[in-house]
Amino acid sequence: MKNKILIGSSLIVLIALICIAIAPSATGQAGADKACDERLLNVLNPSISTKMVARVPLAPRADTLEGKTIYMVDLQWGGPEAAYSVFEEMQGWFARNMPSVKTEVRRSKGGWMGGDDPELRKEIIGKKAAGVIVGIGG
Amino acid sequence: MSRFARRLEEESKIPTVGASGINVVKFKDYELKYSNGMPIRYVAFPFPVAGQPKSVHKAYVEGKDLLGGKPMMQAIIEALTKPLTDEEKKSGIPPEGAPQPRLLKPDTEANLQRLFKEKEWTDFNPIILPTEERVAAMLKATSHKPNEAVSKMGSRELTVEKAAAIAVMAGAKPEYFPTMLAVLTQAASFGNSTSSMASMIVVNGPIRKQLGMNSGTGVMSPYSEPNSVIGRAFALAGKIMGDLRLKETVYTSIGNNLQYNNVCVAENEEELPQGWEPLSVELGYKRTDNVVSIGTGWSYISSVGEAQLNHPPHMMFRDYMRSLAGMGATIIMDPTVAGLLRDAHGFKTKAELSEWLSKNVEVAAATYWGNGVNATASSPMAFQGLEPFATWQKVPPETLIKPFTNAKAIQFVVAGGKIQTTWFATDFRLGRGILIDSWK
Repeated sequence: MKNKILIGSSLIVLIALICIAIAPSATGQAGADKACDERLLNVLNPSISTKMVARVPLAPRADTLEGKTIYMVDLQWGGPEAAYSVFEEMQGWFARNMPSVKTEVRRSKGGWMGGDDPELRKEIIGKKAAGVIVGIGG
Repeated sequence: MSRFARRLEEESKIPTVGASGINVVKFKDYELKYSNGMPIRYVAFPFPVAGQPKSVHKAYVEGKDLLGGKPMMQAIIEALTKPLTDEEKKSGIPPEGAPQPRLLKPDTEANLQRLFKEKEWTDFNPIILPTEERVAAMLKATSHKPNEAVSKMGSRELTVEKAAAIAVMAGAKPEYFPTMLAVLTQAASFGNSTSSMASMIVVNGPIRKQLGMNSGTGVMSPYSEPNSVIGRAFALAGKIMGDLRLKETVYTSIGNNLQYNNVCVAENEEELPQGWEPLSVELGYKRTDNVVSIGTGWSYISSVGEAQLNHPPHMMFRDYMRSLAGMGATIIMDPTVAGLLRDAHGFKTKAELSEWLSKNVEVAAATYWGNGVNATASSPMAFQGLEPFATWQKVPPETLIKPFTNAKAIQFVVAGGKIQTTWFATDFRLGRGILIDSWK
Protein backbone atom coordinates (compact mmCIF):
# COMPACT_ATOMS: atom_id res chain seq x y z
CA MET A 1 0.00 0.00 0.00
CA LYS A 2 2.81 2.36 1.00
CA ASN A 3 4.61 1.47 -2.24
CA LYS A 4 1.49 2.34 -4.30
CA ILE A 5 1.23 5.76 -2.62
CA LEU A 6 4.90 6.40 -3.21
CA ILE A 7 4.71 5.46 -6.89
CA GLY A 8 1.57 7.58 -7.38
CA SER A 9 3.13 10.63 -5.75
CA SER A 10 6.27 10.22 -7.81
CA LEU A 11 4.22 10.06 -10.99
CA ILE A 12 2.35 13.26 -10.08
CA VAL A 13 5.60 15.09 -9.39
CA LEU A 14 7.10 13.78 -12.63
CA ILE A 15 4.08 14.95 -14.67
CA ALA A 16 4.21 18.33 -12.99
CA LEU A 17 7.89 18.70 -13.81
CA ILE A 18 7.25 17.78 -17.46
CA CYS A 19 4.43 20.41 -17.72
CA ILE A 20 6.62 23.13 -16.27
CA ALA A 21 9.39 22.27 -18.72
CA ILE A 22 7.22 22.44 -21.88
CA ALA A 23 4.88 25.34 -20.92
CA PRO A 24 5.89 28.77 -22.39
CA SER A 25 7.33 31.14 -19.91
CA ALA A 26 4.59 33.66 -19.05
CA THR A 27 7.20 36.11 -17.92
CA GLY A 28 9.20 35.60 -21.18
CA GLN A 29 6.24 36.30 -23.55
CA ALA A 30 5.11 39.41 -21.69
CA GLY A 31 8.67 40.66 -21.73
CA ALA A 32 8.92 40.19 -25.50
CA ASP A 33 5.62 42.05 -26.03
CA LYS A 34 6.76 44.92 -23.82
CA ALA A 35 10.07 45.19 -25.69
CA CYS A 36 8.18 45.27 -28.98
CA ASP A 37 5.78 47.99 -27.73
CA GLU A 38 8.69 50.13 -26.57
CA ARG A 39 10.67 49.77 -29.78
CA LEU A 40 11.28 53.16 -31.38
CA LEU A 41 10.17 53.48 -34.99
CA ASN A 42 11.46 55.79 -37.71
CA VAL A 43 8.51 56.96 -39.76
CA LEU A 44 8.12 59.45 -42.56
CA ASN A 45 6.43 62.76 -41.86
CA PRO A 46 3.36 62.89 -44.08
CA SER A 47 2.69 66.59 -43.58
CA ILE A 48 3.41 69.19 -46.21
CA SER A 49 5.08 72.55 -45.62
CA THR A 50 3.15 75.68 -46.44
CA LYS A 51 5.08 78.79 -47.32
CA MET A 52 3.67 82.09 -46.25
CA VAL A 53 2.87 84.33 -49.20
CA ALA A 54 4.42 87.73 -49.80
CA ARG A 55 2.80 90.53 -47.81
CA VAL A 56 1.18 93.42 -49.62
CA PRO A 57 0.29 96.57 -47.71
CA LEU A 58 -3.16 98.12 -47.61
CA ALA A 59 -3.89 101.36 -49.42
CA PRO A 60 -3.61 104.56 -47.33
CA ARG A 61 -6.87 105.80 -45.89
CA ALA A 62 -8.43 109.24 -46.13
CA ASP A 63 -9.20 111.03 -42.85
CA THR A 64 -12.91 111.17 -43.49
CA LEU A 65 -15.61 110.02 -45.88
CA GLU A 66 -17.48 113.34 -45.61
CA GLY A 67 -18.15 114.82 -49.04
CA LYS A 68 -16.83 111.72 -50.79
CA THR A 69 -18.24 108.79 -52.77
CA ILE A 70 -18.20 105.20 -51.58
CA TYR A 71 -19.24 102.10 -53.49
CA MET A 72 -20.94 99.03 -52.14
CA VAL A 73 -20.31 95.93 -54.27
CA ASP A 74 -22.53 92.87 -53.96
CA LEU A 75 -20.67 89.74 -55.11
CA GLN A 76 -23.99 87.88 -55.24
CA TRP A 77 -23.28 84.99 -52.90
CA GLY A 78 -26.55 83.13 -52.92
CA GLY A 79 -27.88 85.11 -55.87
CA PRO A 80 -28.72 88.73 -56.70
CA GLU A 81 -31.30 89.17 -53.94
CA ALA A 82 -29.69 87.07 -51.19
CA ALA A 83 -27.95 89.92 -49.37
CA TYR A 84 -28.66 93.00 -51.50
CA SER A 85 -30.92 94.55 -48.89
CA VAL A 86 -27.96 94.71 -46.48
CA PHE A 87 -26.36 97.20 -48.85
CA GLU A 88 -29.67 99.06 -49.18
CA GLU A 89 -29.82 99.33 -45.39
CA MET A 90 -26.25 100.64 -45.28
CA GLN A 91 -27.11 103.14 -48.00
CA GLY A 92 -30.10 104.28 -45.95
CA TRP A 93 -27.88 104.65 -42.87
CA PHE A 94 -25.48 106.95 -44.72
CA ALA A 95 -28.38 109.03 -46.10
CA ARG A 96 -29.70 109.59 -42.58
CA ASN A 97 -26.45 109.96 -40.66
CA MET A 98 -23.81 111.17 -43.11
CA PRO A 99 -25.77 112.77 -45.96
CA SER A 100 -22.64 114.31 -47.48
CA VAL A 101 -21.37 110.82 -48.35
CA LYS A 102 -22.56 109.73 -51.78
CA THR A 103 -23.19 105.98 -51.97
CA GLU A 104 -23.47 103.73 -55.02
CA VAL A 105 -24.62 100.10 -54.78
CA ARG A 106 -23.64 97.71 -57.57
CA ARG A 107 -23.78 94.00 -58.25
CA SER A 108 -20.51 92.52 -59.56
CA LYS A 109 -20.82 90.62 -62.83
CA GLY A 110 -17.97 88.37 -61.76
CA GLY A 111 -19.96 87.05 -58.80
CA TRP A 112 -18.54 85.38 -55.72
CA MET A 113 -16.68 82.66 -57.59
CA GLY A 114 -15.46 84.65 -60.61
CA GLY A 115 -14.82 87.76 -58.57
CA ASP A 116 -13.68 90.35 -61.07
CA ASP A 117 -15.75 92.91 -62.92
CA PRO A 118 -13.37 95.11 -64.95
CA GLU A 119 -16.10 97.57 -65.97
CA LEU A 120 -17.18 98.07 -62.37
CA ARG A 121 -13.59 98.56 -61.23
CA LYS A 122 -13.12 101.13 -63.99
CA GLU A 123 -16.23 102.97 -62.80
CA ILE A 124 -15.05 102.90 -59.16
CA ILE A 125 -11.63 104.23 -60.15
CA GLY A 126 -13.14 106.85 -62.47
CA LYS A 127 -15.37 108.18 -59.70
CA LYS A 128 -12.31 108.38 -57.37
CA ALA A 129 -14.17 106.41 -54.74
CA ALA A 130 -12.91 106.99 -51.19
CA GLY A 131 -13.77 103.45 -50.25
CA VAL A 132 -15.54 100.25 -51.24
CA ILE A 133 -17.57 97.90 -49.07
CA VAL A 134 -17.46 94.47 -50.73
CA GLY A 135 -19.36 91.33 -49.72
CA ILE A 136 -21.43 89.53 -48.56
CA GLY A 137 -20.65 85.88 -48.09
CA GLY A 138 -22.32 83.59 -45.63
CA MET B 1 -14.16 88.84 -51.87
CA SER B 2 -10.54 89.19 -50.79
CA ARG B 3 -9.30 89.03 -54.39
CA PHE B 4 -11.68 91.81 -55.45
CA ALA B 5 -10.68 93.90 -52.45
CA ARG B 6 -6.96 93.32 -52.93
CA ARG B 7 -7.08 94.36 -56.55
CA LEU B 8 -8.65 97.72 -55.69
CA GLU B 9 -6.26 98.32 -52.79
CA GLU B 10 -3.10 97.26 -54.57
CA GLU B 11 -3.63 98.53 -58.10
CA SER B 12 -5.82 101.58 -57.54
CA LYS B 13 -5.06 102.49 -53.91
CA ILE B 14 -8.74 102.46 -53.04
CA PRO B 15 -9.53 101.46 -49.44
CA THR B 16 -11.89 98.54 -49.02
CA VAL B 17 -13.62 96.65 -46.25
CA GLY B 18 -14.80 93.07 -46.67
CA ALA B 19 -18.22 92.35 -45.18
CA SER B 20 -19.38 88.80 -44.63
CA GLY B 21 -20.97 86.39 -42.24
CA ILE B 22 -18.77 85.37 -39.32
CA ASN B 23 -18.70 81.81 -40.72
CA VAL B 24 -16.50 83.07 -43.60
CA VAL B 25 -14.61 85.92 -41.96
CA LYS B 26 -13.21 83.78 -39.12
CA PHE B 27 -10.73 82.20 -41.57
CA LYS B 28 -9.19 85.55 -42.51
CA ASP B 29 -5.93 85.07 -40.62
CA TYR B 30 -5.09 81.79 -42.39
CA GLU B 31 -6.00 83.34 -45.71
CA LEU B 32 -3.74 86.33 -45.04
CA LYS B 33 -0.72 84.15 -44.27
CA TYR B 34 -1.04 81.46 -46.91
CA SER B 35 -3.26 82.73 -49.69
CA ASN B 36 -3.96 86.45 -50.11
CA GLY B 37 -1.02 88.22 -48.42
CA MET B 38 -2.96 91.45 -47.86
CA PRO B 39 -4.37 92.22 -44.39
CA ILE B 40 -7.83 93.10 -45.69
CA ARG B 41 -10.00 94.79 -43.06
CA TYR B 42 -13.22 92.88 -42.40
CA VAL B 43 -16.47 93.28 -40.56
CA ALA B 44 -18.57 90.28 -39.63
CA PHE B 45 -22.31 89.89 -39.61
CA PRO B 46 -24.08 87.07 -37.81
CA PHE B 47 -24.59 83.99 -39.97
CA PRO B 48 -26.61 83.40 -42.12
CA VAL B 49 -26.88 86.55 -44.17
CA ALA B 50 -27.98 85.19 -47.56
CA GLY B 51 -31.67 84.56 -47.81
CA GLN B 52 -32.65 86.35 -44.62
CA PRO B 53 -35.64 88.75 -44.71
CA LYS B 54 -35.06 92.50 -44.91
CA SER B 55 -35.95 92.95 -41.25
CA VAL B 56 -33.00 90.72 -40.29
CA HIS B 57 -30.65 92.57 -42.63
CA LYS B 58 -31.78 95.84 -41.06
CA ALA B 59 -31.05 94.44 -37.61
CA TYR B 60 -27.60 93.30 -38.76
CA VAL B 61 -26.71 96.78 -40.05
CA GLU B 62 -27.98 98.37 -36.84
CA GLY B 63 -26.24 95.75 -34.72
CA LYS B 64 -22.63 95.04 -33.92
CA ASP B 65 -19.61 93.88 -35.88
CA LEU B 66 -18.92 90.40 -34.49
CA LEU B 67 -15.16 90.77 -35.00
CA GLY B 68 -14.50 93.96 -33.04
CA GLY B 69 -17.73 94.39 -31.08
CA LYS B 70 -18.33 97.97 -32.25
CA PRO B 71 -21.55 99.18 -33.89
CA MET B 72 -21.45 97.86 -37.46
CA MET B 73 -21.51 101.16 -39.33
CA GLN B 74 -18.84 102.64 -37.03
CA ALA B 75 -16.69 99.58 -37.72
CA ILE B 76 -17.16 99.99 -41.48
CA ILE B 77 -16.31 103.70 -41.43
CA GLU B 78 -13.23 103.06 -39.29
CA ALA B 79 -12.10 100.30 -41.64
CA LEU B 80 -12.19 102.82 -44.49
CA THR B 81 -10.65 105.76 -42.63
CA LYS B 82 -8.47 104.71 -39.69
CA PRO B 83 -4.73 105.09 -40.43
CA LEU B 84 -2.79 101.94 -41.19
CA THR B 85 -0.98 100.11 -38.44
CA ASP B 86 2.68 99.07 -38.86
CA GLU B 87 1.48 95.53 -39.48
CA GLU B 88 -0.80 96.69 -42.29
CA LYS B 89 2.08 98.55 -43.97
CA LYS B 90 4.32 95.48 -44.21
CA SER B 91 5.46 94.16 -47.55
CA GLY B 92 7.77 91.43 -48.81
CA ILE B 93 8.21 87.77 -48.15
CA PRO B 94 8.04 86.83 -44.46
CA PRO B 95 10.98 84.88 -43.02
CA GLU B 96 10.51 81.27 -43.92
CA GLY B 97 9.87 78.94 -41.04
CA ALA B 98 11.81 75.69 -40.69
CA PRO B 99 10.65 73.22 -43.33
CA GLN B 100 8.88 70.09 -42.19
CA PRO B 101 11.46 67.36 -41.38
CA ARG B 102 11.42 64.33 -43.64
CA LEU B 103 11.30 61.94 -40.68
CA LEU B 104 9.43 62.32 -37.42
CA LYS B 105 11.22 61.95 -34.11
CA PRO B 106 11.58 58.21 -33.44
CA ASP B 107 8.92 57.02 -31.06
CA THR B 108 6.86 54.00 -30.05
CA GLU B 109 3.98 52.67 -32.12
CA ALA B 110 1.43 53.86 -29.57
CA ASN B 111 2.86 57.36 -29.35
CA LEU B 112 3.08 57.71 -33.13
CA GLN B 113 -0.48 56.53 -33.64
CA ARG B 114 -1.57 59.15 -31.11
CA LEU B 115 0.54 61.84 -32.82
CA PHE B 116 -0.92 61.09 -36.25
CA LYS B 117 -4.43 61.49 -34.85
CA GLU B 118 -3.58 64.68 -32.95
CA LYS B 119 -2.12 66.21 -36.11
CA GLU B 120 -5.27 65.19 -38.04
CA TRP B 121 -3.31 63.25 -40.63
CA THR B 122 -5.79 60.38 -40.43
CA ASP B 123 -9.49 59.67 -40.88
CA PHE B 124 -9.50 58.48 -37.25
CA ASN B 125 -9.50 54.85 -38.33
CA PRO B 126 -6.22 53.03 -37.44
CA ILE B 127 -3.42 53.58 -39.91
CA ILE B 128 -0.31 51.66 -40.86
CA LEU B 129 2.67 53.74 -39.77
CA PRO B 130 4.79 54.79 -42.78
CA THR B 131 8.16 53.39 -41.69
CA GLU B 132 11.09 53.93 -44.00
CA GLU B 133 11.04 50.26 -44.99
CA ARG B 134 7.34 50.29 -45.88
CA VAL B 135 7.63 53.52 -47.86
CA ALA B 136 10.70 52.21 -49.71
CA ALA B 137 8.74 49.10 -50.71
CA MET B 138 5.87 51.27 -51.93
CA LEU B 139 8.24 53.46 -53.99
CA LYS B 140 9.47 50.41 -55.91
CA ALA B 141 6.06 50.25 -57.59
CA THR B 142 6.67 53.43 -59.58
CA SER B 143 9.44 54.67 -61.82
CA HIS B 144 8.78 58.27 -60.71
CA LYS B 145 11.36 59.88 -58.45
CA PRO B 146 10.51 60.34 -54.77
CA ASN B 147 10.81 64.13 -54.90
CA GLU B 148 8.69 64.52 -58.03
CA ALA B 149 5.47 66.52 -57.58
CA VAL B 150 2.19 64.63 -57.90
CA SER B 151 -0.13 67.51 -57.05
CA LYS B 152 0.27 71.18 -56.16
CA MET B 153 -1.91 73.67 -54.34
CA GLY B 154 -0.26 77.07 -54.09
CA SER B 155 3.03 76.50 -52.31
CA ARG B 156 1.94 73.08 -51.03
CA GLU B 157 3.31 70.15 -52.97
CA LEU B 158 2.48 66.47 -52.65
CA THR B 159 5.55 64.50 -53.73
CA VAL B 160 5.75 60.87 -54.80
CA GLU B 161 7.41 60.04 -51.47
CA LYS B 162 4.68 61.75 -49.44
CA ALA B 163 2.10 59.95 -51.57
CA ALA B 164 3.88 56.66 -50.77
CA ALA B 165 3.71 57.45 -47.05
CA ILE B 166 -0.01 58.13 -47.38
CA ALA B 167 -0.51 54.94 -49.39
CA VAL B 168 1.15 52.97 -46.58
CA MET B 169 -1.04 54.74 -44.02
CA ALA B 170 -4.15 53.79 -45.95
CA GLY B 171 -3.12 50.13 -45.97
CA ALA B 172 -2.16 49.84 -49.65
CA LYS B 173 -0.15 47.12 -51.32
CA PRO B 174 2.60 48.41 -53.61
CA GLU B 175 0.71 47.22 -56.71
CA TYR B 176 -2.06 49.74 -55.91
CA PHE B 177 0.42 52.62 -55.88
CA PRO B 178 0.35 53.71 -59.58
CA THR B 179 -3.44 53.86 -59.43
CA MET B 180 -3.22 55.83 -56.20
CA LEU B 181 -0.72 58.24 -57.75
CA ALA B 182 -3.09 58.84 -60.64
CA VAL B 183 -5.89 59.53 -58.14
CA LEU B 184 -3.70 61.76 -56.01
CA THR B 185 -2.92 64.08 -58.91
CA GLN B 186 -6.32 65.44 -57.87
CA ALA B 187 -5.64 65.50 -54.12
CA ALA B 188 -5.82 69.28 -54.06
CA SER B 189 -9.46 69.13 -55.06
CA PHE B 190 -10.66 67.29 -51.93
CA GLY B 191 -13.73 69.16 -50.77
CA ASN B 192 -13.51 71.96 -48.24
CA SER B 193 -16.60 73.93 -49.04
CA THR B 194 -19.22 75.33 -46.69
CA SER B 195 -21.50 72.91 -48.57
CA SER B 196 -21.19 69.10 -48.37
CA MET B 197 -18.90 68.28 -51.27
CA ALA B 198 -17.44 64.85 -51.84
CA SER B 199 -15.56 62.95 -54.53
CA MET B 200 -16.06 59.90 -56.71
CA ILE B 201 -13.36 57.60 -58.14
CA VAL B 202 -14.07 55.29 -61.10
CA VAL B 203 -11.47 52.88 -62.47
CA ASN B 204 -11.54 51.41 -65.96
CA GLY B 205 -9.29 49.07 -67.90
CA PRO B 206 -7.48 45.77 -67.36
CA ILE B 207 -5.93 47.07 -64.12
CA ARG B 208 -9.24 46.45 -62.36
CA LYS B 209 -8.70 42.69 -62.58
CA GLN B 210 -4.96 42.93 -62.00
CA LEU B 211 -5.53 44.65 -58.68
CA GLY B 212 -8.56 42.57 -57.73
CA MET B 213 -10.88 45.59 -57.69
CA ASN B 214 -14.55 44.90 -57.22
CA SER B 215 -16.95 45.87 -59.98
CA GLY B 216 -19.64 43.31 -59.19
CA THR B 217 -21.70 42.34 -56.16
CA GLY B 218 -21.37 44.86 -53.34
CA VAL B 219 -19.22 47.16 -55.50
CA MET B 220 -20.15 50.17 -53.36
CA SER B 221 -19.89 48.31 -50.07
CA PRO B 222 -16.86 47.40 -47.93
CA TYR B 223 -16.07 44.09 -49.63
CA SER B 224 -12.91 44.87 -51.54
CA GLU B 225 -9.49 45.83 -50.25
CA PRO B 226 -8.34 47.88 -53.28
CA ASN B 227 -11.70 49.72 -53.57
CA SER B 228 -11.53 50.54 -49.87
CA VAL B 229 -7.88 51.49 -49.67
CA ILE B 230 -7.61 53.52 -52.88
CA GLY B 231 -10.67 55.52 -51.88
CA ARG B 232 -9.31 55.99 -48.36
CA ALA B 233 -5.93 57.22 -49.62
CA PHE B 234 -7.68 60.07 -51.43
CA ALA B 235 -9.32 61.14 -48.18
CA LEU B 236 -6.03 61.07 -46.27
CA ALA B 237 -4.13 62.86 -49.03
CA GLY B 238 -6.87 65.42 -49.44
CA LYS B 239 -6.79 66.29 -45.74
CA ILE B 240 -3.01 66.50 -45.66
CA MET B 241 -2.73 68.35 -48.97
CA GLY B 242 -5.38 70.86 -47.96
CA ASP B 243 -4.01 71.22 -44.41
CA LEU B 244 -7.56 70.46 -43.33
CA ARG B 245 -7.72 70.62 -39.54
CA LEU B 246 -11.03 70.80 -37.79
CA LYS B 247 -10.64 73.91 -35.67
CA GLU B 248 -8.32 75.77 -38.03
CA THR B 249 -9.18 75.41 -41.67
CA VAL B 250 -12.23 73.23 -42.17
CA TYR B 251 -15.42 75.08 -42.98
CA THR B 252 -17.73 72.38 -44.27
CA SER B 253 -20.77 72.79 -42.08
CA ILE B 254 -22.07 69.21 -42.11
CA GLY B 255 -19.44 67.50 -44.26
CA ASN B 256 -20.13 64.40 -46.27
CA ASN B 257 -19.83 60.80 -45.15
CA LEU B 258 -18.87 59.79 -48.69
CA GLN B 259 -15.47 61.38 -48.02
CA TYR B 260 -14.33 58.29 -46.12
CA ASN B 261 -14.13 56.23 -49.33
CA ASN B 262 -14.93 58.72 -52.09
CA VAL B 263 -17.26 56.24 -53.84
CA CYS B 264 -14.31 54.27 -55.22
CA VAL B 265 -15.61 51.71 -57.73
CA ALA B 266 -14.50 49.82 -60.80
CA GLU B 267 -16.85 49.69 -63.77
CA ASN B 268 -18.20 46.25 -64.66
CA GLU B 269 -17.02 46.47 -68.24
CA GLU B 270 -17.56 42.77 -68.89
CA GLU B 271 -21.30 43.17 -68.33
CA LEU B 272 -21.88 46.27 -70.45
CA PRO B 273 -24.65 45.77 -72.99
CA GLN B 274 -23.63 45.79 -76.62
CA GLY B 275 -23.03 49.33 -77.79
CA TRP B 276 -22.53 50.69 -74.28
CA GLU B 277 -18.90 51.66 -73.83
CA PRO B 278 -16.92 51.97 -70.61
CA LEU B 279 -16.77 55.43 -69.07
CA SER B 280 -13.11 55.73 -70.11
CA VAL B 281 -13.97 55.09 -73.76
CA GLU B 282 -16.73 57.72 -73.54
CA LEU B 283 -14.00 60.07 -72.31
CA GLY B 284 -11.83 59.32 -75.33
CA TYR B 285 -9.57 56.47 -74.17
CA LYS B 286 -9.15 52.95 -75.54
CA ARG B 287 -10.65 49.91 -73.81
CA THR B 288 -7.12 48.68 -73.16
CA ASP B 289 -6.12 51.89 -71.36
CA ASN B 290 -6.03 51.88 -67.58
CA VAL B 291 -7.87 55.04 -66.58
CA VAL B 292 -9.11 56.56 -63.35
CA SER B 293 -11.74 59.31 -63.40
CA ILE B 294 -12.33 61.60 -60.44
CA GLY B 295 -15.51 63.58 -59.93
CA THR B 296 -16.92 66.00 -57.40
CA GLY B 297 -20.49 66.44 -56.28
CA TRP B 298 -22.79 66.50 -53.32
CA SER B 299 -25.78 64.19 -53.71
CA TYR B 300 -26.31 60.47 -53.93
CA ILE B 301 -29.82 59.00 -54.17
CA SER B 302 -30.64 55.30 -54.18
CA SER B 303 -33.33 53.78 -56.39
CA VAL B 304 -34.33 51.90 -53.24
CA GLY B 305 -36.23 49.17 -55.06
CA GLU B 306 -36.09 47.29 -58.32
CA ALA B 307 -37.20 48.43 -61.78
CA GLN B 308 -40.91 48.47 -62.59
CA LEU B 309 -42.45 47.98 -66.04
CA ASN B 310 -45.04 50.74 -65.70
CA HIS B 311 -42.41 53.38 -64.85
CA PRO B 312 -39.09 52.08 -66.23
CA PRO B 313 -35.61 53.10 -65.00
CA HIS B 314 -34.99 55.99 -67.41
CA MET B 315 -38.20 57.66 -66.20
CA MET B 316 -37.15 57.12 -62.60
CA PHE B 317 -33.72 58.61 -63.43
CA ARG B 318 -35.56 61.61 -64.88
CA ASP B 319 -37.70 61.97 -61.77
CA TYR B 320 -34.79 61.63 -59.33
CA MET B 321 -32.58 63.98 -61.32
CA ARG B 322 -35.06 66.77 -60.61
CA SER B 323 -33.56 66.74 -57.12
CA LEU B 324 -30.05 67.33 -58.41
CA ALA B 325 -28.52 70.77 -58.89
CA GLY B 326 -28.31 70.48 -62.66
CA MET B 327 -24.60 70.94 -63.17
CA GLY B 328 -24.00 67.31 -64.03
CA ALA B 329 -24.99 63.78 -63.09
CA THR B 330 -23.46 60.32 -62.83
CA ILE B 331 -25.79 57.36 -62.59
CA ILE B 332 -24.29 54.17 -61.23
CA MET B 333 -26.47 51.26 -62.33
CA ASP B 334 -26.44 47.51 -62.04
CA PRO B 335 -25.73 45.73 -65.35
CA THR B 336 -29.31 44.40 -65.35
CA VAL B 337 -30.59 47.99 -65.49
CA ALA B 338 -28.27 48.81 -68.38
CA GLY B 339 -29.51 45.67 -70.13
CA LEU B 340 -33.15 46.68 -69.67
CA LEU B 341 -32.51 50.18 -70.91
CA ARG B 342 -30.85 48.87 -74.04
CA ASP B 343 -32.98 45.88 -74.88
CA ALA B 344 -36.44 46.83 -73.61
CA HIS B 345 -36.30 50.60 -73.99
CA GLY B 346 -34.08 51.11 -76.99
CA PHE B 347 -31.14 53.11 -75.62
CA LYS B 348 -28.46 51.65 -77.85
CA THR B 349 -25.69 53.76 -76.34
CA LYS B 350 -25.01 55.68 -73.15
CA ALA B 351 -25.04 58.88 -75.23
CA GLU B 352 -28.64 58.25 -76.35
CA LEU B 353 -29.72 57.99 -72.73
CA SER B 354 -27.82 61.17 -71.85
CA GLU B 355 -29.59 63.02 -74.64
CA TRP B 356 -32.99 61.77 -73.57
CA LEU B 357 -32.44 62.83 -69.98
CA SER B 358 -31.07 66.22 -71.02
CA LYS B 359 -34.31 66.85 -72.93
CA ASN B 360 -36.68 65.40 -70.36
CA VAL B 361 -35.51 66.46 -66.91
CA GLU B 362 -37.51 69.56 -66.00
CA VAL B 363 -37.74 71.58 -62.83
CA ALA B 364 -39.45 74.81 -61.86
CA ALA B 365 -37.21 77.85 -62.24
CA ALA B 366 -37.76 78.54 -58.54
CA THR B 367 -36.38 75.10 -57.70
CA TYR B 368 -33.28 75.72 -59.81
CA TRP B 369 -32.56 79.10 -58.28
CA GLY B 370 -33.55 77.87 -54.84
CA ASN B 371 -30.34 75.85 -54.77
CA GLY B 372 -27.72 78.15 -53.25
CA VAL B 373 -24.88 76.75 -55.35
CA ASN B 374 -26.82 77.48 -58.54
CA ALA B 375 -27.73 80.92 -57.24
CA THR B 376 -24.09 81.74 -56.48
CA ALA B 377 -22.55 80.14 -59.57
CA SER B 378 -25.13 80.95 -62.24
CA SER B 379 -26.52 84.33 -61.16
CA PRO B 380 -23.50 86.25 -62.44
CA MET B 381 -23.98 84.63 -65.84
CA ALA B 382 -27.62 85.67 -65.82
CA PHE B 383 -26.52 89.15 -64.77
CA GLN B 384 -24.20 89.30 -67.76
CA GLY B 385 -27.05 88.34 -70.07
CA LEU B 386 -25.71 84.86 -70.84
CA GLU B 387 -28.30 82.30 -71.88
CA PRO B 388 -30.09 80.26 -70.78
CA PHE B 389 -29.49 81.75 -67.34
CA ALA B 390 -30.67 85.24 -68.25
CA THR B 391 -34.04 83.87 -69.38
CA TRP B 392 -34.31 81.48 -66.46
CA GLN B 393 -33.92 84.39 -64.07
CA LYS B 394 -36.70 86.39 -65.73
CA VAL B 395 -39.41 83.70 -66.18
CA PRO B 396 -42.16 83.22 -63.57
CA PRO B 397 -40.90 80.96 -60.77
CA GLU B 398 -43.23 78.06 -61.64
CA THR B 399 -42.00 77.90 -65.26
CA LEU B 400 -40.45 74.54 -66.09
CA ILE B 401 -36.85 74.70 -67.31
CA LYS B 402 -34.45 71.97 -68.45
CA PRO B 403 -31.38 72.42 -66.22
CA PHE B 404 -29.18 69.68 -67.77
CA THR B 405 -28.32 71.71 -70.83
CA ASN B 406 -25.16 69.71 -71.55
CA ALA B 407 -26.01 66.07 -72.27
CA LYS B 408 -22.32 65.14 -72.05
CA ALA B 409 -22.39 66.13 -68.39
CA ILE B 410 -24.75 63.20 -67.73
CA GLN B 411 -22.56 60.11 -67.36
CA PHE B 412 -23.15 56.46 -66.53
CA VAL B 413 -21.12 53.83 -64.72
CA VAL B 414 -22.30 50.22 -64.91
CA ALA B 415 -21.36 48.30 -61.79
CA GLY B 416 -22.95 45.67 -59.60
CA GLY B 417 -23.59 41.93 -59.37
CA LYS B 418 -26.73 41.42 -61.49
CA ILE B 419 -28.70 40.48 -58.39
CA GLN B 420 -31.20 43.37 -58.46
CA THR B 421 -32.20 46.12 -60.90
CA THR B 422 -31.05 48.94 -58.67
CA TRP B 423 -29.07 52.12 -59.23
CA PHE B 424 -27.91 55.40 -57.74
CA ALA B 425 -28.49 58.87 -59.16
CA THR B 426 -25.76 61.30 -58.17
CA ASP B 427 -24.82 64.85 -59.10
CA PHE B 428 -21.13 63.97 -59.43
CA ARG B 429 -19.43 65.32 -62.49
CA LEU B 430 -16.55 63.08 -63.54
CA GLY B 431 -13.41 64.62 -64.99
CA ARG B 432 -11.48 63.81 -68.12
CA GLY B 433 -9.73 60.73 -66.78
CA ILE B 434 -6.07 60.11 -65.93
CA LEU B 435 -3.89 57.38 -67.43
CA ILE B 436 -2.72 55.11 -64.63
CA ASP B 437 0.14 53.55 -66.60
CA SER B 438 1.92 56.90 -66.79
CA TRP B 439 2.45 56.52 -63.04
CA LYS B 440 3.99 53.03 -63.18
